[in-house]
Amino acid sequence: MIATQQAINMFVQETGGWAASQLEACTRCGMCAEACHFYQSSANPEYAPVWKLEILKRAYEQRFTLVGKFKTAIGIDKKITDQDVAHWSELNYYACTVCNKCAMVCPMGIDLGTLLHTVRSGLAAAGMVPEDLETAVMKQVIEGSPLGMTASVWDSRLEWVADEWEVDIPRDVKGADTLVVFTSIEVMKFPTNVAAIAKILNAAGEKWTVSSSAREVVNFGFYEGDQEHEKLFMRRLFDGAKELGVKRIVVTECGHAYDALRFHAPNLLSEANDYEIVHITGVMADLVKSGRIKLQEGFYDNVGTLTLHDACKIQRKGGYIQEPRDILNIIAPKSFKEMTPNQEEAICCGGGGGVIAIKAADPIRYDVFTLKIDQVNKIGANMVTMTCSNCRLQFTDCMDHFKLDWKITGLAQMVADAMVE
Amino acid sequence: MDGKSIFDELKEKGVSRREFIKLSGAIAGAIGLTSFPSVEAQAGTSARFPRAYQPAQLVAKALASKPRIPVIWLEFQDCAGCSEALTRSESPTLVNLVLNMISIEYHETLSAAAGFQVEEAKRAAMEKYAGQYLLVVEGSVSPKDGGIYCSIGGRSSVDILEEAAAGAAAVIATGTCATFGGLPKAKPNPTGAVSVMGLIKDKPVINISGCPAIPEVFTGVVAHYLVFGTLPALDSLNRPTIFYGNTIHDRCLRRPFYEAGKFASSFDDEGARQGWCLYKLGCKGPTTYNACATLKWSGGLSFPVQSGHPCLGCSQPDFWDGGGFYQGQSAPLSKPAGTLGAMAAGAGVVLGVGSALANKQQKKNAKKSEPGEKGGSHELE
Amino acid sequence: MNWNDVLSFARGPLFQAALLIFIAGMLYRLVRVIGLGWSRNHVRPKKSQTKGVVMSYLKGILIWPFVPWVKNTFTKNPIIYLAGGLFHLGLFVILVLGTAHMLVWKSLLGFGWKTLPLPIVDWFAAATIVAMVVLFINRLINPVLKLLTGTAEWLNLLFVFVPMLTGYIMTHHLFFQYEVLFSIHMLSVDFLLIWIPFSRISHFVFYFFSKSIHGQEFAKHGVRA
Ligand code: HEM
Ligand code: SF4
Ligand code: SF4
Ligand code: SF4
Ligand code: SF4
Repeated sequence: MIATQQAINMFVQETGGWAASQLEACTRCGMCAEACHFYQSSANPEYAPVWKLEILKRAYEQRFTLVGKFKTAIGIDKKITDQDVAHWSELNYYACTVCNKCAMVCPMGIDLGTLLHTVRSGLAAAGMVPEDLETAVMKQVIEGSPLGMTASVWDSRLEWVADEWEVDIPRDVKGADTLVVFTSIEVMKFPTNVAAIAKILNAAGEKWTVSSSAREVVNFGFYEGDQEHEKLFMRRLFDGAKELGVKRIVVTECGHAYDALRFHAPNLLSEANDYEIVHITGVMADLVKSGRIKLQEGFYDNVGTLTLHDACKIQRKGGYIQEPRDILNIIAPKSFKEMTPNQEEAICCGGGGGVIAIKAADPIRYDVFTLKIDQVNKIGANMVTMTCSNCRLQFTDCMDHFKLDWKITGLAQMVADAMVE
Repeated sequence: MDGKSIFDELKEKGVSRREFIKLSGAIAGAIGLTSFPSVEAQAGTSARFPRAYQPAQLVAKALASKPRIPVIWLEFQDCAGCSEALTRSESPTLVNLVLNMISIEYHETLSAAAGFQVEEAKRAAMEKYAGQYLLVVEGSVSPKDGGIYCSIGGRSSVDILEEAAAGAAAVIATGTCATFGGLPKAKPNPTGAVSVMGLIKDKPVINISGCPAIPEVFTGVVAHYLVFGTLPALDSLNRPTIFYGNTIHDRCLRRPFYEAGKFASSFDDEGARQGWCLYKLGCKGPTTYNACATLKWSGGLSFPVQSGHPCLGCSQPDFWDGGGFYQGQSAPLSKPAGTLGAMAAGAGVVLGVGSALANKQQKKNAKKSEPGEKGGSHELE
Repeated sequence: MNWNDVLSFARGPLFQAALLIFIAGMLYRLVRVIGLGWSRNHVRPKKSQTKGVVMSYLKGILIWPFVPWVKNTFTKNPIIYLAGGLFHLGLFVILVLGTAHMLVWKSLLGFGWKTLPLPIVDWFAAATIVAMVVLFINRLINPVLKLLTGTAEWLNLLFVFVPMLTGYIMTHHLFFQYEVLFSIHMLSVDFLLIWIPFSRISHFVFYFFSKSIHGQEFAKHGVRA
């Protein structure tokens, strides 16, 4: 029962008027189910967003309301058990990407994503985080990166990238304006992205730098829901930024990292608001708009049909909805075609929220991707671009799994290629 | 009362046979007699009227053969309005006719005699007609505090009623005071007024409610008793269903406006002039059972709703406490007084603040018991 | 005990008690929730939060759910969305624009207003009843709703349905005597009033919290609400 107790304790701590008023507002209409790609692809009613929240709602009622206390006392409401905690751990970590799509359709406007994050906090406090995810978190605590990107690995990788693509990557430059923080996914798996971003910023004449201490922007503590870990990883970034004296932190193509840094950090660490925190998508759009970089119009018009996958945490939760479209309308005005639904209502790739890191969730994750396959096939696209490397990881993994031959790419890479000197 | 039939007495007053048959028809109509066999059987006249059964003849036969009915009329907490209505009725022929069918042996207001003299007459009549007389009661009874609030000749209304009811063939309560307590019983009911029905349990009590009771209804009931020797069928409130089977609303001439949702909003607006429904002005017609809308008042001239005034619901129990006369019927009877509402609100707030404090404490404790260094936790927003 | 007394009781003391319980209960819930505390949010918003909140209400009330195709997610079961919308619209029309109900407000608030003609309200009432039946059936067969629906949710439906149905039958003078239906109508309304603070029907209050939060959050993230 200790696990349960810790989960409930965390729920009790985290539930204030903000959460309570929304828990009270839910009418149990079930409409959020239709929004969730996990429910859509499996028809498993337990994947309804509101049901993933059930454990938090029960804790709230049983601990904070007179009626709930009374109902638990006489046995109408069952107390939360260890089995419940374990069950909701699976529901939340395996079958939720915290994409916040459900909040779009809830008629009461409940901000489900944030509440689901709170559920994770409780589960994490109870030590009920899936093993794979927990291992990755610990790796980030100890080595500084869940993908094992230690300082020396980082060093040699960046050197190699600079060599291979012949770009200058300014490192640990004190007094630079902008600190760019990459994800280990990019550095280890999509190095072209690193090169591309460096190329773009150099071409624009940005005074930028990377930092060897603030080298990993991925935040597995955020996936997990453990605030201490979350803060630890953020602090590493802010410490690095402080050391170099930068004004601005640019998050590269990683959704959850941007979400964590832009929208969570200010409430966890006071220094967060010392910096302007932006996503590379916004930076690129600004550079194009101000003419600091020039793109060749129609550069991609001969690639067939190109589409944009909206990343939940950069588009729906990050607000960069028009920016990537502005860019694509320059470099691929003819070949770019929208999927439906798109923008805020886009369907999540299914790999976010740490799901892709959990082996046991693989079948669920692949199931969800079938929705994406349908979407892409409907418009007959053969090339998909996106602004999040975690989505990109899911896409490339699913290319293998489903034997698809679409070309998967990142937006920064496309911009870099289409730049005219 | 010397064995003469009612017809004999009428003849003495110069009523012709022709007129008599006509009046019989009127009475038959008033009590709702139509040709149906059960009536024949009830009257035991099937042998005399084998084929063409005529209601009027049925009545005529009863009037021709039966003596007048002795009646004792008691008044308690009343205004004599019901008596007034009856004696001043504007359908004199019919009501007079019926008044001719009865012989009022005792009536406080109508008797010429007074004091011990009339009390003595009442005692004599009760003895002479024991088991035969009709007891009519007007006004409510007051048993509270030993009956001191309503006594006549030193005796309480309860005593008088019980004594008179003991020898009665049947009891007719006329007017809403007698039937349901009426005005004297209105909140806060200082005299503890009760209805006749509330006191007399061992005799049939027939209720003719209304404030005042419609004279034609009273006479109709008496005629029925006379013709058939029985009381008419009654509803759950002991009211004769022939007269109380429908609501005012059921038979209201403004009903089409109700259906169309056309309501007068004040007594002098266009709606009022157009004769629209008076629901919004407080009409209680939908829940009021009485014959006003069909028999009407003043010799069939009009009735309140027709004349532009909402029905007050005067024939229903507790109509004085049934909401304001001019307040729509859907409005609640009572609303929490300001102080009571404030108290409820206060109780809710106190309960809420108490819960909130307890919950805050819980949150603090949860933080303390958290293992490891978990301080600085922040509610996510 | 006859219907007359039942009616007087339901319109009088019981209604009064129900109203007091309603007031106390709702205030308790409201104060309890607000009393849990609201910590400050330090995130710098991307767009105007005021505008976000306004948009959130406009979309919530004007567009959702009467136009199911506004949001793509609604395409799966538009009938349910329409039924939900119609039910709430009907409820509003009946309770605010119906003559009988306006008179209730008038007696409580001290002022009245113009109402819709009965036949129009009546159509809404009929549509609302149909909508409730659709919602009921949906709750019976939809797998998610089966999971979410407990005794309390069934009671919610019942406690709203009985006044609705008795009101309709009463207005049409069908089947039973008027005061019988009126009595049941009022009894069920009284039970409803008592039930609301204990149930999720109270969402009509917390709607204003969650909807404001929605607009604020989405503006903060720079997204259309
Ligand atoms: C204090 C509360 C209420 C009172 C006093 C009240 C009273 C009434 C009355 C008197 C009528 C009939 C009007 C007529 O005969 O023309 C009526 C109709 C109706 N009532 Fe209520 N009511 C109340 C609350 C409610 C509630 C909460 C609901 C629904 C949940 C409701 C639903 C209806 C409906 C559907 C009709 C029929 C309207 C029509 O068909 O036009 N009532 N109500
Ligand atoms: S946040 Fe996304 S994945 Fe999670 S329940 Fe909501 S819709 Fe489903
Ligand atoms: S859509 Fe909103 S109100 Fe409906 S069940 Fe889901 S969270 Fe609750
Ligand atoms: S019922 Fe009305 S008219 Fe008859 S006695 Fe009572 S107050 Fe007078
Ligand atoms: S005036 Fe009264 S009795 Fe006549 S229809 Fe209107 S509500 Fe009914």
